[in-house]
Amino acid sequence: MLPMMRNQTMKSWRSAEQWLLGSMVLALAAAAFIWLVLGPAPAAPAHLTAVVLLIASLLASLIMMRRVGTTRRQMEAVLHGRARAEQHAMEAQRHSEAQWKEVFEHNPVMYFMVDAAGTVLSVNTFGAAQLGYSVSELLGQSVLKVFPAEEQHAAQTNVAICLENIGQTHSWEICKVRKDGSSLWVRENAKAVRRVDNQLIVLIACEDITERKQAENALRQSEMYLAEAQRLSRTGSFGWCAGSDEIIWSEETFRIFGFDKAPSIKRATVIQRIHPDDRARVLRITGRALSDWKDFEHGYRLLMPDGSVKHVHVRTHAVKDTSSGIDFVGAVSDVTARKEAEAELHEAQANLAHVTRVTALGELAASIAHEVNQPLAAVVTNAAACLRWLDREPANLKEARSVVQSIVKDGNRAGEVIQRVRALANKTTDQKTPLDINEVVNEVISLAQHELSSHRVALRLELAPALPLVLADRIQLQQVILNLVINAIEAMQPVKDRPRELVIRTRQDEAGQVLVTVSDCGVGVAAENADRLFDAFFTTKSSGMGMGLSICRSIVNAHGGRLSAFGNAGPGATFQFTLPWHRGHST
Amino acid sequence: MTGRPASRDTLASAEEPVVFVVDDDASMREALSNLFRSVGLRVEVFGSAHEFLQSTLPNVASCLILDIRLPRLSGLDFQAELAKADIRIPIIFMTGHGDIPMTVRAMKAGAVDFLTKPFRDQDMLDAVTTAIERDRISRDEAKVLSGLHARFATLTPREREVMALVTAGRMNKQIAAEIGIAEITVKIHRGHIMRKMTAKSLPDLVRMAEMLGIGPASGGPQT
Repeated sequence: MLPMMRNQTMKSWRSAEQWLLGSMVLALAAAAFIWLVLGPAPAAPAHLTAVVLLIASLLASLIMMRRVGTTRRQMEAVLHGRARAEQHAMEAQRHSEAQWKEVFEHNPVMYFMVDAAGTVLSVNTFGAAQLGYSVSELLGQSVLKVFPAEEQHAAQTNVAICLENIGQTHSWEICKVRKDGSSLWVRENAKAVRRVDNQLIVLIACEDITERKQAENALRQSEMYLAEAQRLSRTGSFGWCAGSDEIIWSEETFRIFGFDKAPSIKRATVIQRIHPDDRARVLRITGRALSDWKDFEHGYRLLMPDGSVKHVHVRTHAVKDTSSGIDFVGAVSDVTARKEAEAELHEAQANLAHVTRVTALGELAASIAHEVNQPLAAVVTNAAACLRWLDREPANLKEARSVVQSIVKDGNRAGEVIQRVRALANKTTDQKTPLDINEVVNEVISLAQHELSSHRVALRLELAPALPLVLADRIQLQQVILNLVINAIEAMQPVKDRPRELVIRTRQDEAGQVLVTVSDCGVGVAAENADRLFDAFFTTKSSGMGMGLSICRSIVNAHGGRLSAFGNAGPGATFQFTLPWHRGHST
Repeated sequence: MTGRPASRDTLASAEEPVVFVVDDDASMREALSNLFRSVGLRVEVFGSAHEFLQSTLPNVASCLILDIRLPRLSGLDFQAELAKADIRIPIIFMTGHGDIPMTVRAMKAGAVDFLTKPFRDQDMLDAVTTAIERDRISRDEAKVLSGLHARFATLTPREREVMALVTAGRMNKQIAAEIGIAEITVKIHRGHIMRKMTAKSLPDLVRMAEMLGIGPASGGPQT
């Protein structure tokens, strides 16, 4: 329409020009004619004037014609230029459309245009190719053809939603099926529009998200594996945002703590679940971790709503990169089963220790009887003497009193021996207290004294004075020393050619630990037995259980010490153990 | 009380019997010391056999109370040691528990008694009384014997020869024939023998000869 309007304008412009030019020429010619014909006198000047006017009119018409020609040329040039520009624009538009079509055709996005019934009105080559069809195979077909049976309903619903909300864009993820039956995941953006012919159509752009879906699936699977692994290992994970006091838990962590799953949980809530006896310690440790911002590890108990107790072990790593907002990440393991097994093992060991202790006491029975009998005999004899002092005329009260004092002393002595034996014979639980090791050695010796003398063993005690205290269970330490002493006595049994001497030394070693050595001059330890010495059920004695040294080693280990044996430079062997000194006290 | 409470009594009367106690247990030593002192017996206590052997023993009636289980040297070995050293002292053994083989060994070796701790005080005192009495007798016997020996030593060889034959029941004539001297000379020897030996009668001399262990086969006393 625009070019037509331009032509009209040009034509009108041309006729106006002609009209102007023609009228001017006519006016000049008429003036010249009138002047020549109707002049007052055919005088020369009048003629001349007429001629001049004629020439002038001719000149004027010539100039006019020239000017009109120039104007027209200019006009035409302008008009020609405009036409060319219009042509260029149209060409450009055509080119652009082709480009766009090209883009749509080869864009890795599938475009569909379907009508309200779901019939494919248009599809781009890429879209068709992605589904394994040619464009013509899809045109006019129901779009449901590219959906698997289980997704068809969803596809229909989605299209219906678009149709209900004309002009609004909807998007969803859906699975499609190719011609060859393979499936692909797409994300569809769709919009219903009304065409010029009033037909409702739905434009759909689909993006292949199969890879993303696969990655998501892989991620989900990996998460599932992780969750399963956490469940199986009874180890949950957590992230702790100290700033916001939020803790993010894994599913297993929720299960361990017995809370319902929630996006995050407050520290105060966790503390509520911790066993009241452990709370203060946990608060102290976590508080210190917050201020130091260091990795930490601790164990505590949970008191569950049903009254049961769980043991958990927590390892926590301080995150130095705070971009995630997490300050600490950690793992929490439910170690209840392990703790229970440990407790059972400990009990079994304690029972075994008890049995070996009683066995050792049995070996010392004669010695112990002697140790009790000796003060008892003294008591009886003293009492008789006392009576005789009293029966004298006059009674010797001074002597009687002195004798009664001896009776008290000896009675106490017998009682102490019995207490020691009873303590050793009893089943006891660990009671670690600060002890003077020399005292423990002397207590054991008091029971074994007679055993030593009846086996003609001379005892030499070299107990260092003012040793630091050790934190230990008195009975267990007595058991260790008792075992070593009994072994030493037995090892010296076959010795006939030299004095049998047992040396017990205590001292502080170079590392500051308390060292106890028991040396004999007996048969020593055969090289082939040295490695097995501390093994359970290993014995060189005909009547031995082979538990003594094994138990001794586990007792010493449990005290943070070490029990070892070596052959002497001379005859015999030396057994020694170290114990860390109790840092809380020192003598 | 590991000292010797009997020391002042030793000064008071040297003839009083002494009880020696050897026990490694101080309480037991003290208790025994109390018991013996309460009945007025002198007592000396020692912690070991070694200590006992180191001390000088008074020459009075005494007995030794010994714990059978002593450190280093056992009571039985100690008994043997004393016998070897010819220290004749009655021994009463004490033991913590009845040990039959040990008891048998001790009694065979001449122990007076064997008491199991704890013992009745009267049993111990009776044992001590018996032991001291036995020691007194043996000391008296020893004194008599040594007197006999001294008197026997004054006899000439010929007189000893005649005494052996006389106490063997030979007639003067037989003796004279046997050793080839005159009967009258035998009579003179007999008279010297009776006087030197302070024998009141022939049976008295025979008893002396028995104590000295003199027989016709042997020429001298057997000790």
